[in-house]
Amino acid sequence: MDFQGIHDHLRAIEAPGLVRADEPRLPNPEDKKDKGRSGDAYVVVEAAQLASFLRVCRDDERLAFEILADLTAADPAKDAEEFWVIVQLLSVQHRHRLAIKALVPKASARIPSATGVYRAAQWHERECAEMFGIEFVGHPDPRNILLPDDWEGYPLRKDYVFPTEYRGISCQ
Amino acid sequence: MALLENAFEENLLTTKVDWLLNWAKLNSIWPMTFGLACCAIEMMAVGAAHHDIDRFGAGAFRATPRQADLMIVAGTVNFKMAERVKRLYDQMPFPKYVIAMGACATGGGPYYKYGYTVVKGVDRVVPVDIYIAGCPPRPEALLEGLMALQKKIRNTSVIRKPAQIA
Repeated sequence: MDFQGIHDHLRAIEAPGLVRADEPRLPNPEDKKDKGRSGDAYVVVEAAQLASFLRVCRDDERLAFEILADLTAADPAKDAEEFWVIVQLLSVQHRHRLAIKALVPKASARIPSATGVYRAAQWHERECAEMFGIEFVGHPDPRNILLPDDWEGYPLRKDYVFPTEYRGISCQ
Repeated sequence: MALLENAFEENLLTTKVDWLLNWAKLNSIWPMTFGLACCAIEMMAVGAAHHDIDRFGAGAFRATPRQADLMIVAGTVNFKMAERVKRLYDQMPFPKYVIAMGACATGGGPYYKYGYTVVKGVDRVVPVDIYIAGCPPRPEALLEGLMALQKKIRNTSVIRKPAQIA
């Protein structure tokens, strides 16, 4: 299925937490300020429902996303209200893909863990957790994966302040 | 040694103790197998047949710091690794030498400004003898660094301390 087909199907089966689809489009020639949107098409999903949404994507026969290709996060801007948690799914048998975006409020960055649905999400979620400070509720092993255990701060946040020293080694 | 065999009468060889010890030292600098990033690929190229670091007696890459004389820090050192670098350095027996190979090990390299977890030069963790520029350095550059280290060793003295500079 193409993106439109997947989205229609998700609507038809009333996938939990589905908010809207966002597709790239050309700029409107009438409106000079409209620059259109580039990038991939994706569906926006409620953060609290992400795990159950993924379960539907995996188990539905016409979707059958067997593989979690990627799970990552992004901090779009310093003054943004939310982080993005972005999931890329791949179905080998149907040869289609789906990008999913969940908006997690920065004030309480919590999202249910996808490890119960895709075990591949474990390391990805650990990385997101240490880089953005997003808590993945229900993760079986929420240790740091790349950074040292006593690292302070979340480096990929836009408002991250670089450390001046770490264990006696100057960072300047 | 067939060529030299029986070529000399029983003889005396006179030399300086320093010269002899340094000659032995600088022609058998055993490096530690220690690759951290892409510089290690160049280091492997130096070890392979074309560039052949064995010509300098430094081809015996040891898998343990206890048998190594030289630590070639080939690549990016981050804070998590810095502790291990220090520990490995401490495990090496004297005399020991360190080559900081490439931009990262020398001063953080491309990660200098935004690399939050990259040590801005391995000399903040262990003392460095030779710095090699390049990102990554050509194999010839590493060989030149090795030759510079040999030159440095040649100028050392074991039997008397160099005169103190006031």
